[in-house]
Amino acid sequence: MKSFFTKGRFISLISIIILLIIWKIASVIYKSELILPSPEHTLVSTIKLFTAKSFLIVIGYTISRGLIGFAFSFILGVGLGVWAGTNSNFNSFLKPILVTIRSVPVISLILLALIWFQVGLVPVFIGFLTMFPFICTNVIDGIRNVDKDLIEMATIYKVDKSSIIKEVYLPAITPFIFSGASSAMGIGWRAIIIGEVLSQPQFGIGTFMQSAQTYLLVNEVIAWTIIAVIISYAFEVIIRKIEHGIVIWK
Amino acid sequence: MSLTIKKLNKSFDNIHLFKDFNIEIEEHTITCILGPSGCGKTTLLNIISNSVQPDSGSFSGFDEKTLSYIFQEPRLLPWKTVRENIAFVTKNKSLNTDQGKLIDKYLQLVNLEEFADYFPNKLSGGMKQRVAIARAFSYPSDLILMDEPLKALDLKLKLNLISAFRKIWQNDRRTVIFVTHDIDEALLLGNEIYVFSKPPIYIKEKFTIDSKDRSLQNPEIIDLKNKIWEVMD
Repeated sequence: MKSFFTKGRFISLISIIILLIIWKIASVIYKSELILPSPEHTLVSTIKLFTAKSFLIVIGYTISRGLIGFAFSFILGVGLGVWAGTNSNFNSFLKPILVTIRSVPVISLILLALIWFQVGLVPVFIGFLTMFPFICTNVIDGIRNVDKDLIEMATIYKVDKSSIIKEVYLPAITPFIFSGASSAMGIGWRAIIIGEVLSQPQFGIGTFMQSAQTYLLVNEVIAWTIIAVIISYAFEVIIRKIEHGIVIWK
Repeated sequence: MSLTIKKLNKSFDNIHLFKDFNIEIEEHTITCILGPSGCGKTTLLNIISNSVQPDSGSFSGFDEKTLSYIFQEPRLLPWKTVRENIAFVTKNKSLNTDQGKLIDKYLQLVNLEEFADYFPNKLSGGMKQRVAIARAFSYPSDLILMDEPLKALDLKLKLNLISAFRKIWQNDRRTVIFVTHDIDEALLLGNEIYVFSKPPIYIKEKFTIDSKDRSLQNPEIIDLKNKIWEVMD
């Protein structure tokens, strides 16, 4: 069994410790729990949040919004990505749409979504729009990167088209799908929480962050942030684990 | 019986690779095409395999032939094991024999039966190329095209693969067209050797090797090698 404390992990740990020390020093300088609470107080607030009754409901809502948004972006991103990757006309059609979605500021999307949708849907919609282009672009890149020599080999050996798609294209783009999904999720959580802050659904991390901010509960704002980071990290780990389970040939 | 190509014309970017080119390939023999690198030997294989369209030319005997191809690189799917890689091309092809058994038989002939469930990244370059050879023979083809498959391998591996190839080939004596720029490979493997010129290509000379003793020390082979040296560009 490999030791848990590899050199890389040890250095990462030092980096986290330095970050905490800087935080502690800053909080000592500010001398105000209201403006910048100390790391230990924030830890206490985080633990309090974890044990609060509504905690699971709050993060449950945020996570389900994230997952629904992700599911839509994944299905649409892979489907349209495969189509665009294998058909240059459709690629030309899709390209400006992807570029537009990517370059529009998230805040504009939220403001529009607030007008168009009911509050609970706004974060889902924002999550979808930020995640979809990542997945789609990665799938298109993946298909572009499929080894043409393998396709030629399969064609010469008269392998039928559906087997070529299932057994050559799909496995070849799998690593690209996973890297797309992982960067999409990284961005997606942030967008969903911003969406919640602004649309104020009944439950959601963003909603509670916003009300903590209103009452100047800085330690709670930071505590929710830590929870958001943990959720984002947990999903990153889950995606990597699934990838390891599927991409066994590397 | 033989396969013939007559009056083949093909040019790329105004360079005439083939101009009214004719060749006859004897069936059930190993025909080596020997010529300088970049002379268009691969193009000839690509025309035969239908990957490249000729400008004109008439072909006889090729239509009804099923092809296997051994490329310069092994071209294995990284996400499939050795056995799955072979099954990928042989499945759904009308075969009377049990496919699994057939694959096992050829894996055994290339000495890879223990590696049947390995992924390609666990194999050396020579082993991968042996898988490619087993794949070509497992496929129910009448004609095997080989495009310098030994190019990237060192001498010892080359000799190993050549003797493995001849051993398998003795089984059913399929028609083989083997393209190379290496005289030794041609001498060790071929029954017939065509020496190609630079483009526009014509056949400089045809040699036939009858000797059973395929070693580079055999005086007959040495003599032939000197003759080929004289005609090659």
